[in-house]
Amino acid sequence: MKKTIPLLVVILGGFIWLAWVFVPHRLLQDVFYYDFYLPWARAMAPFGMLLGVMSLSMMHYGKIRRKAPKWQYSFFFFAGFIATSLAGFIGGTQKGGLYMWLFENLQMPMSSTMFSLLAFYMASAAYKAFRARSAEATVLLVAAIIVMLAQVPLGVKISRHLPDISQWILDVPNLASKRGIMLGVGLGSVATTLKILLGIERSYLGGD
Amino acid sequence: MEEKLTLFERIQKLDRRWVYIVVALAIIIPLMLPYNSDNVTSPPTENVYQMIDSFAGREDRAILMSFYHDASTMSELYPMQVAIIRHCFERNVKVFFLSFLPQGAPIIDMAINTVKEEYPHIKSGTDYCNFGYIPASLIMATVIGMGDNIATAVPTDAEGRKVENLPIMKGITNYTEMNLVIEFSGSVAGGYWLAYARPKFGTNIAVGVTAVMAADEYPYLQTGQFIGMLAGLKGAAEYEKLVDVFAAYREPGQPLIPYVDASGKKHVPGRPFSEDLLEKSDIQDLIKITTQTEAKFTSAEFESFVTTQSLTDQAKIRQAKTESDGKILIDVSKLKEDDFESGTWSALNRMTRNTPYKFKVARIGMNAQSVAHMMIIAFILIGNIGYFIQRARTGKK
Repeated sequence: MKKTIPLLVVILGGFIWLAWVFVPHRLLQDVFYYDFYLPWARAMAPFGMLLGVMSLSMMHYGKIRRKAPKWQYSFFFFAGFIATSLAGFIGGTQKGGLYMWLFENLQMPMSSTMFSLLAFYMASAAYKAFRARSAEATVLLVAAIIVMLAQVPLGVKISRHLPDISQWILDVPNLASKRGIMLGVGLGSVATTLKILLGIERSYLGGD
Repeated sequence: MEEKLTLFERIQKLDRRWVYIVVALAIIIPLMLPYNSDNVTSPPTENVYQMIDSFAGREDRAILMSFYHDASTMSELYPMQVAIIRHCFERNVKVFFLSFLPQGAPIIDMAINTVKEEYPHIKSGTDYCNFGYIPASLIMATVIGMGDNIATAVPTDAEGRKVENLPIMKGITNYTEMNLVIEFSGSVAGGYWLAYARPKFGTNIAVGVTAVMAADEYPYLQTGQFIGMLAGLKGAAEYEKLVDVFAAYREPGQPLIPYVDASGKKHVPGRPFSEDLLEKSDIQDLIKITTQTEAKFTSAEFESFVTTQSLTDQAKIRQAKTESDGKILIDVSKLKEDDFESGTWSALNRMTRNTPYKFKVARIGMNAQSVAHMMIIAFILIGNIGYFIQRARTGKK
């Protein structure tokens, strides 16, 4: 019973949504979607957020209580969470308030710093590991250099044709490989969806 | 005794901290010392620009900007958002904003406020509307719901006002009017819009993505599912250039903001997109990122400009003019803002073709990226030269 009911809910829900996509009947498009689903989705959204906050708080509280490795960092979560929430609830989220100040002066520079480190790792990896060891690696290397040059004004000064060559690399070889990967992923998704809808795939229920 | 390393072995074993220092300098120096460079525009960027521009001055057209990213990718995505908002404000295009991520909501506020400082006539609820943060669990409901009725799918805006009562909604009901959605994301952008809005309602979709994610979006561009794309800082720089050349361009004497004439016809200043114009060398004066203080006119242009100003300001402008190489010059750095009416001062500054810093951030960044790319290419080449020479020597031994 513990597994049968959730399984039935998933199968039934899955088939209803499948029908909603393909059947233009009023019962599905209006009654099910607008009258039933939308109000429920709106009502559930805040609970989803609440659940997330509770789950995260419990996880960090547990880490502090158990003195798990790096438990001290969990205090930063509570400090940041409480300070940002209070700033938003008390002062509002508009420009000029503490919330926006925290965002502009703490979150924005910290997040951007993390992302910008990528440039340094890329440069280091390019220097240390990007070698023309085989024909395939050489093709990759030449393509990378052309695309990198064509991206920047200095590269275009070297040759006006570089952007066209770069565009061809992106439009033809890149596109062919990307599309191949996407078709594979798409077919895999359809197969997995069918397995879930038909009750063959049940690992999401937990247990064996 | 330790064996002495050859030059090529040293190159191979160079400490990565040296690489970091060189990259840091390659980025910092061009940021501190901006120089003029030209970012050649690409069709995906031009397509986004042209579609937005085709909505200029129309009551029954609008765009929606979806900020689906957090602060980490702002360095690439924020300049393109600012450029698009500036385009909309210059050309009187209605624009809506939303974010399905809580971290995206402050970025919307920041972007709007940054651009709005230069456009005091732009009003919230009339020229733009910010829906703010909408929980991700409501993505599907919102994306599909707006196809039926925007004001029903998003009942209130970020300021708590009823959307259906806002002046901006005059002539706007659903995707038939709000016919372009641009999603900005650091990962896979535009997915929900492609799955639900485009097939069901025929909505035009465009994306703004970080450079590393751009390659993933090409399949959708080729099929026409995306009408255009802004790829990384380069896409932002291209868009900034297009706005400078077309949307923000004013003929001498042309009003700075949209106006309605005596017959009730609305006029939107700026000029339409033209591929031919982009090829001309005289646009270089419009896209300079170094500070410009001189307004240059031909005699006819000067007269057109002066006669549209008030009589007292006309005399002051004529007094301030100098001539050089057959052109009439007015150096605004030698004038005082307080001596002129605010409209005259704004018009004079517009004629210098000087772009405020916030509207050229991507192009300044592209200079840094130019040097950084060159450094990385140099690193790759040096590393490979060292590798091959070392391999040849090892082979001989």
